[in-house]
Amino acid sequence: MSTADLARHHQVSQFLFHEARLLDERRWDEWADLFTEDGVYWAPAAHDQPDADFHVSLIHDDALLRKVRIARFADPNAFALQPFPRTAHLITNVMIDEDDATMGRLLTTSRFAMFEFRADAQRIYGGAYRHELVVDGEDFRIVRKTATLVDCEGLQETVGVYF
Amino acid sequence: MDAANLDRLVDTDRVHRSVYTDPAIFELEMERIWGRAWIFVGHESQVAEAGQYFATTIGRQPVMMTRDEAGGLHVLFNRCAHKGARLVGEGAGRADKAIRCCYHGWRFGLDGRLLSIPMADGYDGTRFGKGCPEADVQPLSRAESYRGFVFASLAAEGPGLVAWLGGAASSIDNMVDRAPGGDLEVTGGVLRFEHDSNWKFFVENLNDLMHPMVVHQSSSLTARDVAKAELGPEATMPPALQIIAPFTESYRFFDEMGLHAFEWGHGYSGGKTSIHAKYSDVPEYNAAMEAAYGPERVAEIFAVNRHNTVFYPSATIKGPIQTMRIVKPLAVDRTVIESWTFRLKGAPDELLRRSILYCNLINSSANLVGPDDQEAYRRQQQGLRAEGAEWVAMHRDLGREEDLGEGHLYAKGSSDLAFRNQFRAWKRYMAGVA
Ligand code: FES
Ligand SMILES: [Fe+2]
Repeated sequence: MSTADLARHHQVSQFLFHEARLLDERRWDEWADLFTEDGVYWAPAAHDQPDADFHVSLIHDDALLRKVRIARFADPNAFALQPFPRTAHLITNVMIDEDDATMGRLLTTSRFAMFEFRADAQRIYGGAYRHELVVDGEDFRIVRKTATLVDCEGLQETVGVYF
Repeated sequence: MDAANLDRLVDTDRVHRSVYTDPAIFELEMERIWGRAWIFVGHESQVAEAGQYFATTIGRQPVMMTRDEAGGLHVLFNRCAHKGARLVGEGAGRADKAIRCCYHGWRFGLDGRLLSIPMADGYDGTRFGKGCPEADVQPLSRAESYRGFVFASLAAEGPGLVAWLGGAASSIDNMVDRAPGGDLEVTGGVLRFEHDSNWKFFVENLNDLMHPMVVHQSSSLTARDVAKAELGPEATMPPALQIIAPFTESYRFFDEMGLHAFEWGHGYSGGKTSIHAKYSDVPEYNAAMEAAYGPERVAEIFAVNRHNTVFYPSATIKGPIQTMRIVKPLAVDRTVIESWTFRLKGAPDELLRRSILYCNLINSSANLVGPDDQEAYRRQQQGLRAEGAEWVAMHRDLGREEDLGEGHLYAKGSSDLAFRNQFRAWKRYMAGVA
């Protein structure tokens, strides 16, 4: 790997770690700002799920639904979120699958684990992230984040937050 | 638990907390309610072709719906006739001409009939083997389909499906009638939401019209606020917010929706209107409906707008949005709720897209509305451990329901009629009266 490749890998990893940190530190508005205006957050309900239009999903949020969800996070009447879940998102196996300099677009895959403490119990979620990013000055923005749980087809208890 | 003790747990206006918390009562429910009632198995579209099967559970027992070579529909125990291995995995699959057991390779037709045993002559002169009825995969005692919805019963005796559905069958009619092609198809995957609470909290809650404006404030009021702030007060809400916003309609709105109750614990809320009544029109859909049925009949079909219909204890549907939630009790304090979506045959894709969106937003484990219901059941499950208060109330508007004849009761939406009606059936099943 060239020095430039290493630097790029570091830059991308730092972006993903930063995103995870914003989720763990409940800095929702800053997190939402990482997305482009038409950016999509998607947690499919099946591994071979081709789209989110004609197959159910665990979460499929556009900008407006992210706004509703984030506003709900702060709502004292969001009973399922009392006390608010604590999370630790861990990201590893970061790979840059595509890096198109002319288009300013990147595709990365990584693996994640999310520890969530909610309703008196700790739960562990794990799976794959796929980030479609656009270059935005020195930084990136998210066009599409897909979080596919290894057990997305299995039984799911209430999930309070974003993976 | 003897009959007299069980009888004392349910009054007309209150139930004892132990019906939600006692594992021994749960075991009895499995036997006397889930072992007797018609339980929803699946939809015929899931086994449209010969060789297809759909495996699920009734209570905790593995069953499968199959389509044989001749087009016959069967509901069989998913259990090998030899030494009992489960034959197929849960969900949909295809077996072509035979289902072969993973263990000793016995092969069965999709009608359950034994086809072959390796080295079959070993059974010669014994009382088992080919030709012996016990060597077939065993059918459930009864299975029937109503307009594509397949139910089965573990009990040999009892009312037929149509008689048992009674007036509540009209909700299935209205859902099917909403298809220009006159038929439905299960599609779009399944959401499997695990609840750490008793199954009855869920089926009661679906027609508890005094809860939405409280439980769903954090999602519904928020959706209204976001719509106002982002789009302006006059703008038409996008479909997602149209779905969430009505959960905080007024007490008066829900009261006027009304409640309908029938024999065997069935019932629905809404009728002329519901929280699903104000979605934007899809013009191509209306045109397809008019072409199929003519304007008068279409007006009749759309004039029926029901919220939840419960076919007690296992199946619940929402006709106007073509979704279904299926109840699968696992333990006294553990229940899985599966959400399914249907395509209206002959309707534009837009309708299916809306059903999918609805399920994502309301029924997914990770979404905005359902988790707050689930939290309420969880807190009931915890609260009812308290021994200081033994009874759970269902007194509201007691005796003020209207008898519309033929077992059809009506009350305003704020009434506890749905709960009283479910527990009337509960008591009847639990007493062992078929
Ligand atoms: S258990 Fe099925 S073949 Fe033996
Ligand atoms: Fe609710």
